[in-house]
Amino acid sequence: MNDEINIILGGPQGGGIDTSMSVIVRGLGRSGYGVIAEREYFSNIAGRHSYAHIRIKSSEIPLSIRYPVQLLASLDAETIFVHYKDVEEGGILIYNKSDEEKKLSEIVSLEESIREKISKELEEKGISDKVSSLLSFLENERKIKLVSFNYNEILRRIAEMHKLPLSYMSRYLSSILVGAVWSVLELNLDDLMYSYSIQFKGRSDRVQHNIELVKEVGKIVKTNNAHIKLEPGKLKGSKRLIVSGNDIVAIGKIVGGERFESYYPITPAVDECLLLERLAYSKFQDNNLGNLLVLQTEDEIAAATSAIGAALAGVRSSTSTSGPGFDLMAESISFAGMNEVPLVITFYQRAGPSTGMATRGGQGDLFTAIFSGHGEFARVVLSSGDHTEAFYDAIEAFNIAEKYQLPVIHLLDKFLANTLSVIPIPELEKVSIERGIIVNDTKNYKRFDLSSLISPRAFIGSNSVMWYTGDEHDEIGHISEDPENRKKMYEKRIKKLELVSKETPEDKKLSIYGSENFDFLLLGWGSVKGASVEAIKELKSEGMNGAYINVKMLWPFPSEEVKKYLKISEDIIAIDYTYDSLISKLVKMSSGINIEKSIVKYNGRPITIDEVKKSIKLILEKREKRVVLEHGA
Amino acid sequence: MEHNPGKYRTDLWIDWCPGCGNFGILASEIKALEELNLEPSKIAIVSGIGCSAKIIHYINANGVHSLHGRAIPFAIGIKLVRPDLTVIVNGGDGDLLGIGAGHFVALGRRNLQMTIILHDNRVYGLTKGQAAPTLPLGVKTKALAIPNIYTDINPIALAISSGYTFVARAYAFDSEHLKEIIKKAIMHRGVSLVDVLQPCVTFNDIHTADYFKKKIYKLEDEGWDPVVRDPKDIEEKALNAIRKSFEEEKIPVGIFYENSLLPTYEERLKNVIKSYPSISPGTTKIEVNGKSIFDRKLFESVFSDFIIDTE
Repeated sequence: MNDEINIILGGPQGGGIDTSMSVIVRGLGRSGYGVIAEREYFSNIAGRHSYAHIRIKSSEIPLSIRYPVQLLASLDAETIFVHYKDVEEGGILIYNKSDEEKKLSEIVSLEESIREKISKELEEKGISDKVSSLLSFLENERKIKLVSFNYNEILRRIAEMHKLPLSYMSRYLSSILVGAVWSVLELNLDDLMYSYSIQFKGRSDRVQHNIELVKEVGKIVKTNNAHIKLEPGKLKGSKRLIVSGNDIVAIGKIVGGERFESYYPITPAVDECLLLERLAYSKFQDNNLGNLLVLQTEDEIAAATSAIGAALAGVRSSTSTSGPGFDLMAESISFAGMNEVPLVITFYQRAGPSTGMATRGGQGDLFTAIFSGHGEFARVVLSSGDHTEAFYDAIEAFNIAEKYQLPVIHLLDKFLANTLSVIPIPELEKVSIERGIIVNDTKNYKRFDLSSLISPRAFIGSNSVMWYTGDEHDEIGHISEDPENRKKMYEKRIKKLELVSKETPEDKKLSIYGSENFDFLLLGWGSVKGASVEAIKELKSEGMNGAYINVKMLWPFPSEEVKKYLKISEDIIAIDYTYDSLISKLVKMSSGINIEKSIVKYNGRPITIDEVKKSIKLILEKREKRVVLEHGA
Repeated sequence: MEHNPGKYRTDLWIDWCPGCGNFGILASEIKALEELNLEPSKIAIVSGIGCSAKIIHYINANGVHSLHGRAIPFAIGIKLVRPDLTVIVNGGDGDLLGIGAGHFVALGRRNLQMTIILHDNRVYGLTKGQAAPTLPLGVKTKALAIPNIYTDINPIALAISSGYTFVARAYAFDSEHLKEIIKKAIMHRGVSLVDVLQPCVTFNDIHTADYFKKKIYKLEDEGWDPVVRDPKDIEEKALNAIRKSFEEEKIPVGIFYENSLLPTYEERLKNVIKSYPSISPGTTKIEVNGKSIFDRKLFESVFSDFIIDTE
């Protein structure tokens, strides 16, 4: 019996991978399993290779994905060529019988360089460029169990049964993958039914067709005796959330009191805004929550500036974007700094520079977040390591922004944004809403009163009149070029940063996982957390004693707190999705400590547990200084 | 120059050059607010960057002197969350039609109830007189090395084609007329533009007060009817107004186009969010004694689509 199973579902973009993934994850969650599912896709609407990498644990919620997988279910021949090496010896491959005769050279959606690479691999192994040749290699040499059937035939059968037009059946393709997973793992059909009924709410006919399809696939899997024993899910007995990173940030923002969100559509931020829009139109009014407005703007500049306008009028407002959009917001951040505006920007990094790889991941924007905008002023940069953190951080971003009246950048990345996870329902009693010093009615109101570092804030529309300007200003808010006033205002704006450092508890600045008396220390930020924490845990059982520091507050950098831990260990390894190990540079700049060893990945693909384990061993045992991770399809 | 030190005027020294058209706009705008008897704390005036932008500091109402070209989206943010406020944007021709042209056009699509007062002096005053988007082709103002090599944007035509539902032109030194137009613009149900022709005494030696005095005539004097009364007349009224706005020999001022038949953005929002704008985002409570208003029950109700029950 296995406690853990890893699966890849692959097929053309638009073929239903997304749907299969969410149906499976929800069904598994219902069965009491912990699941995480990472999604990889091209910047393309239909046709290019896309896949979901799912990891299932029966006893706990997994934090990251792992290679190799035990099951590969493919919608097309391309998936077999691209992922055959990812399947464990003795694993299972489910494929469409009609793909057997396809040749590598015939797959037009495949990038030429990838084709050449695969072609070379096959040649070295003495495999011809036909799927059938590769399959017999997998069956004979790698002992992989092959399960095949004609996908179209099954779809046709369902179509005939329900008198559906054949052209209509492509939308049911995703259920072949669902059926594969459900049957191989011998899971409960009731839980799948539950999942489908949520996926296709109000469409009982579609639920029924899909379930029948799953059963058909199940029969074939059974005759092939293709099963993997998975222990029953042990996380039963409570309600859980099934959310992507985008979803949970949107949920956090709403719980945190957000009332205005502006955005210009950009991957991978847009799903957050689409969800907010959907909830604003449907759920808000039904629950008497007042109004949440979501504004799709003409560009990112308008997104950031309208969010500032809304913040000046007193609402918790935010905009979500990724690198290219964030660059356009730099001037607004500077304005927010100058005018002490609580602006929250949710920044989902993707693989740059420029448009880079729009649907792939990276963390190359660390310094962009910290140093964007002109002039010196205080801003706070937070990062989240996983879905649960992202929920609390989305709220914390508003709290810090309002308490200290400054821009806050919540830095996430594509991997977290697009990864689906089963998580516990957040502990709502832990959520505080701190709005800072607010006044409503003061005669002779001074918005930038110098008598304290944080001036009382009145909203535009309250009973006080106030002025804001991007120019240097006096306490009232009018333009001033007086050198003495300039010095005081300048200091007021920057010194808030010290206050943030002083008042923020350590657990909001960083978190540490693993042994207290560690022999080596891994330090990283953002979504690197999952693979790192799990790798450290698994290495422990192999007798290697390590810890992981997850840096949550990137700016102001928690130098003192980090120093405390770094001093203890000689073997410090930095890990992130950059070329230059940007987190090491930030540590050096802020604390003077030189982290000499690093694990980096910048091919746009996610870091996996197996990769982290392997590279830690290379560094500690082979004394390598820098390991560049390369896995990925 | 009328000076109005009353409730609506701050006591700051004014930065503009003596004789600047902005004085006329300031006086008329203040007078309009006064006559409409609007409460200063319930007004938000938003400007961008440039000579025009400083106006907010001289008016005793909430003022946001924002970023170059970005006054409109700042104003939209304020207006949407506090629809009860009177929101006015003041911007120059470079500000609104050069760097901020995208926002100017996008606002037309939204028909949000706010007023744009365009300070149209055809040059960039604060950076020494470069050609603004409204300066005609071939005109050489004194700061230009060669005659202007760009064609000009017609703000009236652009506004009408972008969806503005109240479009007017006025002259900075005809204070009474300008004031009346600003009042009507503010009261208009939807987005309004007042294109204010204004001399720049320092950098524009072509479009001077003398120049305007000779050329300007009032639309109402020739019986122009800007009002759309029937949806089927929209196209004709709009086209006539655009055609009229291109007259050059004599320059018409007054209301070119007025259409109250189109739903405002606020009304469109009300169709999808029933309680808007009577309940505004800016006035709803988001916490109870420092805690979120979300308890477990409310959480499960709002986010039900994401919850699985493993019982």
